[in-house]
Amino acid sequence: MSIIVDPVQESSFEKPDRSQLWYRRLLANQQFLLLLVTIAIFVFFAFNRHVFASAGEFGNNVTNFCTLVLLGVGETYVIATGGIDLSVGSTVSLSGVVGAIAMEHLAMHSELLVLSVGTVVCIGIGILVGVVNSALIHYARLVPFVATLVTWGAGAGMCLVLTGGAPIGQNSGAIALTVPKIWIFSYPALIIIAITFVAGLFLHLSRFGRFTFAVGSNAFAARAVGINVKRQVTSVYVLSGALAGITGMFVYMRLGSGAPTAGTGQELIAIAAVVIGGARLTGGSARLSGTVIAAWMITIVSSGLIFMNVSPNYNQVAVALLIATAATAQALRKSARQSS
Amino acid sequence: MTSNSTPLYEVRSVSKNYGNVVALRNVSMSVGAGEIVGLVGDNGAGKSTLVKILSGVYSPDSGELLVEGVPHVWKSPHEAMAAGVETLYQDSGLALDLTIGANVFLGREKVKKGFLGKLGFLDQKAMDQEAADDLERTGIAVHASKRTVGQLSGGQRQAVAIGRAVAWAQKVIILDEPTNHLGARQAGEVLSVMKAAKARGLGVIFISHTLPHVLEVTDRIIVLRLGSVVRNAPTSEFTAESLLGTITGLHVGTE
Amino acid sequence: MNKESLTSGAPTRTRWTGAKAVVAASLAVSSIALVGLGSASVAGASSSKKITIAFVVGAEADPFFISMNAGAQAEATKLHVDLIWQGNPSQYSPSTQIPVVQQVTTQLASAKPSALVLGPTDPKALEPYVKVAVKKHIPVFNVDSQDASLKNITGFVTGNNAQGGQAAADALAGAMGYTAGKTYNVVVGMTSPTATTNVLRYDGFKAEIAKKYPGIKILAEAYSQSSPTTANTNIQNWLTEYSQSSKTPLNGIFAIDGTNAEGAASALQAGGLACSKTVCGSGHVALVGYDAYSSNVSLLSSGVFAALIAQDPYQEGIDSVFNAYTYLKTGKLPKGVSKTTTLPNVTLLPTSNSTFLAKYTYATA
Ligand SMILES: Nc1ncnc2c1ncn2[C@@H]1O[C@H](COP(=O)(O)OP(=O)(O)OP(=O)(O)O)[C@@H](O)[C@H]1O
Ligand SMILES: [Mg+2]
Repeated sequence: MSIIVDPVQESSFEKPDRSQLWYRRLLANQQFLLLLVTIAIFVFFAFNRHVFASAGEFGNNVTNFCTLVLLGVGETYVIATGGIDLSVGSTVSLSGVVGAIAMEHLAMHSELLVLSVGTVVCIGIGILVGVVNSALIHYARLVPFVATLVTWGAGAGMCLVLTGGAPIGQNSGAIALTVPKIWIFSYPALIIIAITFVAGLFLHLSRFGRFTFAVGSNAFAARAVGINVKRQVTSVYVLSGALAGITGMFVYMRLGSGAPTAGTGQELIAIAAVVIGGARLTGGSARLSGTVIAAWMITIVSSGLIFMNVSPNYNQVAVALLIATAATAQALRKSARQSS
Repeated sequence: MTSNSTPLYEVRSVSKNYGNVVALRNVSMSVGAGEIVGLVGDNGAGKSTLVKILSGVYSPDSGELLVEGVPHVWKSPHEAMAAGVETLYQDSGLALDLTIGANVFLGREKVKKGFLGKLGFLDQKAMDQEAADDLERTGIAVHASKRTVGQLSGGQRQAVAIGRAVAWAQKVIILDEPTNHLGARQAGEVLSVMKAAKARGLGVIFISHTLPHVLEVTDRIIVLRLGSVVRNAPTSEFTAESLLGTITGLHVGTE
Repeated sequence: MNKESLTSGAPTRTRWTGAKAVVAASLAVSSIALVGLGSASVAGASSSKKITIAFVVGAEADPFFISMNAGAQAEATKLHVDLIWQGNPSQYSPSTQIPVVQQVTTQLASAKPSALVLGPTDPKALEPYVKVAVKKHIPVFNVDSQDASLKNITGFVTGNNAQGGQAAADALAGAMGYTAGKTYNVVVGMTSPTATTNVLRYDGFKAEIAKKYPGIKILAEAYSQSSPTTANTNIQNWLTEYSQSSKTPLNGIFAIDGTNAEGAASALQAGGLACSKTVCGSGHVALVGYDAYSSNVSLLSSGVFAALIAQDPYQEGIDSVFNAYTYLKTGKLPKGVSKTTTLPNVTLLPTSNSTFLAKYTYATA
């Protein structure tokens, strides 16, 4: 039996891939480019302010990175399915607030017990938000943007109702835990980095990740081969919520209290990290390594701008510029590929 | 309707409405083992709707589905696939962002051995290898490499979709306009693939608007018009002209 | 082949417009709900022919306004007048406040409030609506914040932010053990470079330093944009840059509002640089914060805060109601009260007694 695909056409397809020099392949890789840019930014800030290259400042940046990266991880999964999760910022606040209330009630007990219960409560709240999000998507038939906008607003409102606007609790022991203990890493930071790593393995190497991308790439095709699309979508929103809950606990520990505005605006930064990391907002394509590098980049840009005494408004402009650059790079590479 | 034996896959009096649109009205048809059945009809006649009922994407409003004489109700396309019915959808069943190997194994992934497998970690190497073998066996040489299906030409994509359907089919293979996007030579290859499937004893349902193809490869032709079967007869009873006439309804005296 | 991917791509466009529509719709619904609420309570209140004072503030759920509400309510009960308390739960914004004011002023004559006390969320945006109210013979008072022109305003009660800034400078100098001739390094945590209260407090702070403490050097400001997490990050970075072993070790922090106070307190504790109740010398960083949230007040006793500057929203509520009441009865403000009343901010110290602390700690609902 002969061959359907024209062998000439086939080899012309293979050729550029094989003969391409290694550095050209690397340069075509958005994550690698991102890494180069991040290093360049770091060098720039370090030259301006030497403290930027100190272990102390690395420690600060790791802490800040850890308040962002898990939101980016969850958002990467969600965006890979073609959805979006706007609720994560309020979920950080809400889980921190509810966790703080729970921990206040346990104040008599041992620190370990209190913090464990707090963590469980925070993750529980996150999962709850994820379940509500997917219920709104599947049963109320809202598109993800609207569904998570609803929980975003509801979460922020609940925070104010529960706290009356003021932070809850005052836990110095929790604050102490966020201090770097192993070189530039605190214990919670190590846990968060480990979760990020495992989440990356699952996204790119497991069946769960494969289904996630399949749903975002072509939901009809996924359904046709027997993938339970609803269950997959539910899982990623629950995952995103749970990761926001863990972040909520981490922020609680940083502040030593549950603040109603602790996570305000974080959802947009997380989405920015995913987009800068090279994911496609319409779903089907994302790299967790990209999100992680982008989260680190956003973290050091924010710190660097503080050191340079720049108004926070420019911080937002900087992030916007990074997004625009990343999106343009993506579009350019795509059109280059299509015309070759 | 094929010889005397029980047909491999049969539908009886199936109807389907989309709101006010009657897509299928009391349709009965069947395919036997080692038989190629052509399903033809004008645009909007209801062919793809029938395909989606056969493949379990939709459930019929009324009527029955029987595999080897046993009634089945598909709750999902997966159940039809498990029963040996593979489908190539007209409107792409491929995930363009996934690699060729990932698409061939979509929904049926191989996992690693041991603990990692329990966690759902994939044995990508084995899948890529097997996918390449499967595609080659059906006469399709697309390396199941790291390339995504979205990077393939329209014809190559179609080849992957056909290859996947043929590779997994155990009883019946349904091809909804498989020669779309294909050049004349490649379309000819698809016809050979169908003949090979028939030789393997599969039942093949072939939907196409290219009537010479239908006349060349099928054993029997079913003509749908406005959701109803207007003719179901051996291919030998049709000429190119009479077939066209039956489809459009302008041919007198065939019903 | 592409049909499916085309159709699955298309919804993104409808998604966005859909989202916009829903946002618009929900905004519309919420403002209608607010207006509805307003009409119900105003109408209900006026059925008895008592004096009715409408109070419209910015963010109702803020502990600051909750305290103000408590003060106003206590005074209203004492004077036997009805109080209508209104405001958006969380958003401090003229776009949500205007519909509420509008509703109050367009009541039927029978349901009209006798007076309106307004804490405008914007100095200019609310002025036209104030004019309407005055035309309808509803005297308008300002509380906490003011309209750009006080021309149509009968009376104005506010906290003294500039004086609060001065008090913060005094408290910080005291906590650092200021001695003339020495240099003290200080950073300031702000919310934004333009927020009015920030600007007033900071101006007062700087003026006092220029006048009395020439040795205090303000090294930098950082902006939190209402996020305690960002405030924490900012201070963390300054503590690293101006570490105790550097040439310019940090001696003090002025956290200009509640959010910054929270972020700075946690950063200091994490850095192990917080003062204890007894010690605040070298190796420690003195922190003076603003706003008496209970969580911050609890850090006074341990010494993390060397001082907290508190406003007096409870008193602002009392005075506003009393001024309006007197004006309605007599046509004049109370004797000895001028058009603008500025209530001094108070300084809470680790040594302050608990009744005093409790009095100024902002209430929670
Ligand atoms: N999802 C749907 N919702 C509503 N109506 C539909 C849907 N799918 C198909 N139809 C309608 O049902 C009828 C049959 O459509 P179907 O796709 O089965 O036709 P077809 O024979 O496959 O046509 P073609 O040759 O163009 O592929 C048409 O009138 C079509 O408009
Ligand atoms: Mg069709």
